[in-house]
Amino acid sequence: MPEMRPRFRERSTKTTDHGNARSVLPSHRREHIRAIRAEGQGLRAEGKQESPRSFSIPWPLALGPRPFPPWPSALYTPPMQPNPLREGLEQERVPEASCLVIFGASGDLTQRKLIPGLYSLAHDGLLPAGQTIVGFARAELTDEQFRASMREACDKHARTKPVDEAVWESFARGLFYVSGEFADPAAYERLHQRLREFDATRGTGGRRIYYLAVPPTFFAQVVELLGAEKMVRDPERGGAYTRVIVEKPFGHNLETAKELNRVAVSTFRERQVFRIDHYLGKETVQNLLVLRFANGIFEPFWNRQYIDHVQFTVAESIGVEKRGNYFETAGITRDIIQNHMLQLVSLVAMEPPVAFEADAVRDEKVKVLRALRPIEESVRGQYGEGSVLGEHAVAYRAEEKVAPDSRVETYAALKVFVDNWRWADVPFYVRAGKRLPKRVTDISIHFRPAPYPLFSKLGMKMHANVLAIRIQPDEGISLKFDSKLPGPTVRTAPVSMEFRYATSFGAEPPEAYERLLLETMLGDATLFARRDEIETAWAWLDPLLQRWADDPAPPPLYSAGTWGPEAADELLEKDGRKWRRP
Amino acid sequence: MTDTLAADVRVDVTSIEKQLADLWRAEKGEGEGAVTRAALWNMIAHTWSSQEHARATQVLALASAAVPQRTIVVQADPDGSAEIESWISANCHLVGGGRQVCSEEVVIRAAGERVHHVPPLVKALLLPDMPVAVWWVGDLPRDHHDYAETLLEPADRLIVDSAQFNGADDLELVSRIAEQTTTAPADLNWARLEEWRAATASLFDPAPMRERLAAIRSLRVTSGGDGSFGATAGALLYVAWMSAQLKADIAFELVSAGEAAGIASVEIEFNDGTKGMIQREASRGVVVAHSDATPAAQLDCIARVLASDTEDLIVRLLKRPEADKVYLKTLKIARRLAA
Repeated sequence: MPEMRPRFRERSTKTTDHGNARSVLPSHRREHIRAIRAEGQGLRAEGKQESPRSFSIPWPLALGPRPFPPWPSALYTPPMQPNPLREGLEQERVPEASCLVIFGASGDLTQRKLIPGLYSLAHDGLLPAGQTIVGFARAELTDEQFRASMREACDKHARTKPVDEAVWESFARGLFYVSGEFADPAAYERLHQRLREFDATRGTGGRRIYYLAVPPTFFAQVVELLGAEKMVRDPERGGAYTRVIVEKPFGHNLETAKELNRVAVSTFRERQVFRIDHYLGKETVQNLLVLRFANGIFEPFWNRQYIDHVQFTVAESIGVEKRGNYFETAGITRDIIQNHMLQLVSLVAMEPPVAFEADAVRDEKVKVLRALRPIEESVRGQYGEGSVLGEHAVAYRAEEKVAPDSRVETYAALKVFVDNWRWADVPFYVRAGKRLPKRVTDISIHFRPAPYPLFSKLGMKMHANVLAIRIQPDEGISLKFDSKLPGPTVRTAPVSMEFRYATSFGAEPPEAYERLLLETMLGDATLFARRDEIETAWAWLDPLLQRWADDPAPPPLYSAGTWGPEAADELLEKDGRKWRRP
Repeated sequence: MTDTLAADVRVDVTSIEKQLADLWRAEKGEGEGAVTRAALWNMIAHTWSSQEHARATQVLALASAAVPQRTIVVQADPDGSAEIESWISANCHLVGGGRQVCSEEVVIRAAGERVHHVPPLVKALLLPDMPVAVWWVGDLPRDHHDYAETLLEPADRLIVDSAQFNGADDLELVSRIAEQTTTAPADLNWARLEEWRAATASLFDPAPMRERLAAIRSLRVTSGGDGSFGATAGALLYVAWMSAQLKADIAFELVSAGEAAGIASVEIEFNDGTKGMIQREASRGVVVAHSDATPAAQLDCIARVLASDTEDLIVRLLKRPEADKVYLKTLKIARRLAA
């Protein structure tokens, strides 16, 4: 073999005396310290106690009864060392095997999202061999019948189709079913017994995740019986964890949200509660943080000095379909704005977190919600008959299980201000609606015009720069700017610089539920809503909802297939602006 | 996804970039603006023969559907009569909504003394701000060192296939490039090991098994093929990987059996005589791991066998934006074990 002289760019071999400073502590000790920090942050999130030693600070009465005795740090168990063979693999983050119990296993969510999502995780090698999934519902089913029904669900709804037989076979061996009423203690006893058996036979080690895919009316019953049957382990005793996943709606208003939270923390600690807002599981929503804080160019302009206003649109082309019952009690504001849209507003407006960790991120999001000015300008509407995507669409009041004189809003637009140093007087226009021309979720940042209108003096129309972030579908980011048209005279036209996920990365992104289920198993709450986020959002929105509830007039109608009532356009027009067509 | 391959257009080597611009302008004029040009990598495939050239062109046309790239396929024949010629084309793929995403492809054929014009020409054709990968198809260069070094100079990644290596000196060469330059090697054969690594890792996920990582006495890796160095290179990389990750030398035995290329099974023996077994089940398309060491490990751990056509392996290597540190650690040990 002849010698091949390296003549490429040479790698620097310079070292410093401090090069190994990070490795002074053995790795298990560093893990231990990191875990203690994480515990401390969890504690702050619960009771806002700054130091793990500050046990003498009274438990805030507003948060309800303290569920467990103070933190006995001596009982803390260091976490297991990471598996070195996982380093560098696509499946680098694989959780330990646990029992995931789905309450409401016969429901639509389980069949459409949860089991197909879990199967897809198994398909991608992201579930451990002993992962055990237990369906719990009223219907009398055997394990085999449950597996057969879940197989059908995966055939229809799994992201990776067709279902891989070998993966399914292994996944299905971890699927079980327990039949029972949500209010029956004996059923919980049976469930508990089976879970203990799985600990012995499937190596789940007492780790539990309870997924409450149940209507809010059953929430308290399930949580209380889990506590009564001693199926919840206090995390401060160390060892195996217990977590609970809660689906929206997180209450109907501030009072009911507080009550739900009170029930939750009567049995669980706040850091055991994972509140799912599936928007946070979307790749593009997570990319908002990357866009803002991994790139140097955006953050200097991300403030009132350069940004004129921001628009948020969540448009759905469908109506209420079979959810008339639910929608009659919710309306678009509770269904979309209180949760998904306020998450988007928080992510766009938040300050940089000190770390990419659950409480650091959520602390900054809560600060935004606290800075929201009480709503002064708003528009609501309800869709009438019309045509969407070439199909006839009936009016909301003609939908199944909707009152013929319903006053529920199917469209809402708000002018929102974040009263802080960064965003003072920058309007955030937020709109959400059903039966709009197309399904799209979009955020657009509209920049201020250039300070001196050099080209306007030549009679040319200048366009504001717009950074548009498409959350769904056709996910991507575009930047609009003016460019000179080729030719001897100076003429300008707006052009768009685009990035599209499908174009650049090709592969289908994982479903939001897959990501969120995995994060729960891994114990990372960054992508979940915290109690104070939920309550602060309700506290801000409640007065508006009350005003609308007190108003005897029905919401103005808009034709299905249009962009909402005229008043929504006027909301921006009187400020000299208009909605961007997404 | 539907693939379409625009016809090759022969162009003058001095105006390749201009001809590419003209190609896009013409496309824009004809269509309704639904064609998007995309590139995440500059990918240079280096070949010595027309067979390799044809294969590289086909593979990269398919790979560009998943990783858009400017592809430059070079066919060099230093012993031929002096000439240089080039073609351009576009690899287009439908991505939905009628949108077509196109990657550019430039083909350069050079022979005789004109071969030395290739490296500067390639450098001039690289897209700015995008990383550069060089896929060295076939034998690593044993002659024409200046030519090879100049071509590799801008490379962030050098893609090789150790299954094609003739001996330990090929590993030595790749390892030296990793150590002495900023070009990070990547190995198609290493990508073939992914399901073996995943299945092995999952065997050691349960806590009782994790503790047994320190109690591995020996490894026995069986692989198929003709028993040549290339045929056992995957098995060697596997052993080196275990040693690298466990930071320990492990006794091992490499066994050749069967005709199907690649690893067929791995047996892990622990100090107490218990064993772990990892096997490919070709009919089910999985690699299965289990052990009699603890009850927790008796459940089958399965890893799907991933698509392993060359274009799939290249896509997997290019989807990793940074150098693969685990591979680099493994390479060092593999080089020592091979020697």
